Amino acid sequence: MNNIITCIDGSAISDDVCNAGVWVAKKLDKTLVLLHAIEKTNTPSANDLSGAIGLGARSALLNEMAELDGQRSKLALALGKELLEHAQNVASKNGCKDIEKTQRHSGIVEAICDLEQDARFIVIGRSGESHREDFKALGSHIEQVIRQVHTPVLIVNKDFSEPKSFILAYDGRETADKAVQRIIEGGLLHNMTCHLVSVKNSQSDLLEKFKRTEAMLIEQGFEVKATFMEGNIFDALSQYKLENEVDMLVMGAFSHSKLASVFLGSNTLKMIGHTHLPLVILR
Amino acid sequence: MLEKMKHEWFSNVRGDLLAGLVVALALIPEAIAFSIIAGVDPKVGLYASFCIAVIIAIVGGRPGMISAATGAMALLMVTLVREHGLEYLLAATLLTGLIQIVAGYLKLGSLMRFVSRSVVTGFVNALAILIFMAQLPELTNVTWHVYAMTAAGLGIIYLFPYIPVIGKSVPSPLVCIVVLTAVALIIGLDIRTVGDMGELPDTLPIFLWPDVPLNIETLMIILPYSIGLAVVGLLESMMTATIVDDLTDTTSDKNKECKGQGIANIGAGLLGGMAGCAMIGQSIINVKSGGRGRLSCFVAGLFLLIMVVFLGDWIAQIPMAALVAVMIMVSIGTFSWTSVRDLKNHPLSTNIVMISTVAVVVATHNLAIGVGVGVLLATLFFANKIGRFMVVKTQDTDQNTRTYEVVGQVFFASSEQFIDSFDFKEAVDKVIIDLTQAHFWDITAVSSLDKVVIKFKREGAQVEIVGMGEATATIVDKFGVHNDPKEVEKLMGGH
Repeated sequence: MNNIITCIDGSAISDDVCNAGVWVAKKLDKTLVLLHAIEKTNTPSANDLSGAIGLGARSALLNEMAELDGQRSKLALALGKELLEHAQNVASKNGCKDIEKTQRHSGIVEAICDLEQDARFIVIGRSGESHREDFKALGSHIEQVIRQVHTPVLIVNKDFSEPKSFILAYDGRETADKAVQRIIEGGLLHNMTCHLVSVKNSQSDLLEKFKRTEAMLIEQGFEVKATFMEGNIFDALSQYKLENEVDMLVMGAFSHSKLASVFLGSNTLKMIGHTHLPLVILR
Repeated sequence: MLEKMKHEWFSNVRGDLLAGLVVALALIPEAIAFSIIAGVDPKVGLYASFCIAVIIAIVGGRPGMISAATGAMALLMVTLVREHGLEYLLAATLLTGLIQIVAGYLKLGSLMRFVSRSVVTGFVNALAILIFMAQLPELTNVTWHVYAMTAAGLGIIYLFPYIPVIGKSVPSPLVCIVVLTAVALIIGLDIRTVGDMGELPDTLPIFLWPDVPLNIETLMIILPYSIGLAVVGLLESMMTATIVDDLTDTTSDKNKECKGQGIANIGAGLLGGMAGCAMIGQSIINVKSGGRGRLSCFVAGLFLLIMVVFLGDWIAQIPMAALVAVMIMVSIGTFSWTSVRDLKNHPLSTNIVMISTVAVVVATHNLAIGVGVGVLLATLFFANKIGRFMVVKTQDTDQNTRTYEVVGQVFFASSEQFIDSFDFKEAVDKVIIDLTQAHFWDITAVSSLDKVVIKFKREGAQVEIVGMGEATATIVDKFGVHNDPKEVEKLMGGH
């Protein structure tokens, strides 16, 4: 549990991701691991539609495709090395000492899962290379990453600067309690202002739990601003964010089961999709 | 989950659509030809190909692989159809699907690791030979026109791709079919056409339950066929999946594929189609034409149905010679020609395994039996080879003591040799058998050691055995142990 895995690619926000990684690594005093995944593009060259297969069609085809893939991979490898090199420079300029670089041949989700054993935190950009300038778009891997990993994830948007305060949406469910526990145990959010926000829902004892959580956080030395609201969860939270100066969002992920969220949609994903703030997801 | 689905279906839409069309065109002649092999109307094979392709696209475990009615399966049904009729074939198809689903849940897909490379090669070659042989009835006792047509068809298939621009954007098998049909119609040749082979589909397939009595008797009739079909279907599907894995450098879920094949066959059986499985030739065509996702197989099935239902009248005019030419191409493309070239480089045992697989399949027309023989031979050869990794070293400690040091693998194949390594004729007072560096793999090994000890005792020698514990530690039935590198190290330590 000693690594801060920071996912680097060629996207416009890669530098912000790197900066965020440096911030986490410094605050937790862990090693910054810069990860670049070489994803296989699934775009074959389909210039032969003759449909004829002759002598040794299989081995000929295998050789031909292996060669093409080999050339693509070589390029991707070289590009990745440069990206990592650049990220390393950025990181060391920002005062990070313990930096490792690693490249893997797989999808980013798989790569993260492979390295997760030693990971303390995962830092990833909100959208990847394929989205370029479109900051509204949510990266295609974000959902997979936050569903599959058991490590806290920091999702970074453009213009990352060191956050001073964070907002925690508390819904009284088990995942929320766990998130509070993780905030207290982990060191990342210490010395920051905590906006504890709750929206009234069907749980009758929510207010009571909310008060208890507030007290607990204060006891642990957080500066807490607690607010209890009514209305639609999503709208209320968005409103609060607008009215108060919040630098970062903290939430526990996915209290619905996977099946339920397919049909109901998930507040977590909705939240991720609509915010421009960096977001910490605690598992 | 949705992300993954999107990726498997729509990550390569253009490539998949084009490849799907090409594959559909390559499927039609096969589906018709295999129905004829099985002795049923072409519509049975065409419906089957449609159902299987569409269903497997949704539930299969290997995106980019093409499944439909196949020759390997058709060959197994011949006697069932001849003796009991179509309805029993449909019932057998349902049962086949059921068996395959069970196999999927029992994770039998992972048994593929016992099928060695040479058996796979033998299977593929045998399949190619069977497809070729199935065309021979169309080429015997016919006028010279048919030979001329077939030769022209092959010429078109192989030479058309060399024409610049259109050569590679229009499937040459399609060109072959269209040109030969046109020629036959214009000249007015009196040769056999698809229409002569039986009924073609004129409607969309409809749901129907096989009209067979539901009793034990029926079960006993269809069960042997269903088991054969299930085994062959899974074997060919697993091997094709491996080939597609290799070609596209991706992985597949073999057990999901087993279940998918089962569901697809049940679907085919209920819509009046015969059993099918993955197709090596068509899958290669698909990958070559740029197909990678599930969409290509789906489109292939759909396009096939549209063509046969709405162009049925035209399809009936296609001369059989054109289909024969396409099938000969598929058989040539499926055959592993490198395996013939490599015969002189590979060890004899490997060659024997490959050739006996081919020979048995061609003789029995049953791919399952051939693969069974191949796997058995490969296992025996392997046991024999490992059995040679055993030596018994002897040394004189002093006048009246003899020490035997056993090194290597002792099991059923090497126990005879183990016993023979001891010199029972030598008159000594004490015999020490050092087993610290030996591995006893089974009960045969232990009992042959008993035999050795008793023989020495009969000669009046005192026997001392050293390191028995280490040697027998390998008689483990807990396979989980082998996955732990530390445990394996412990087990195989000292070598």
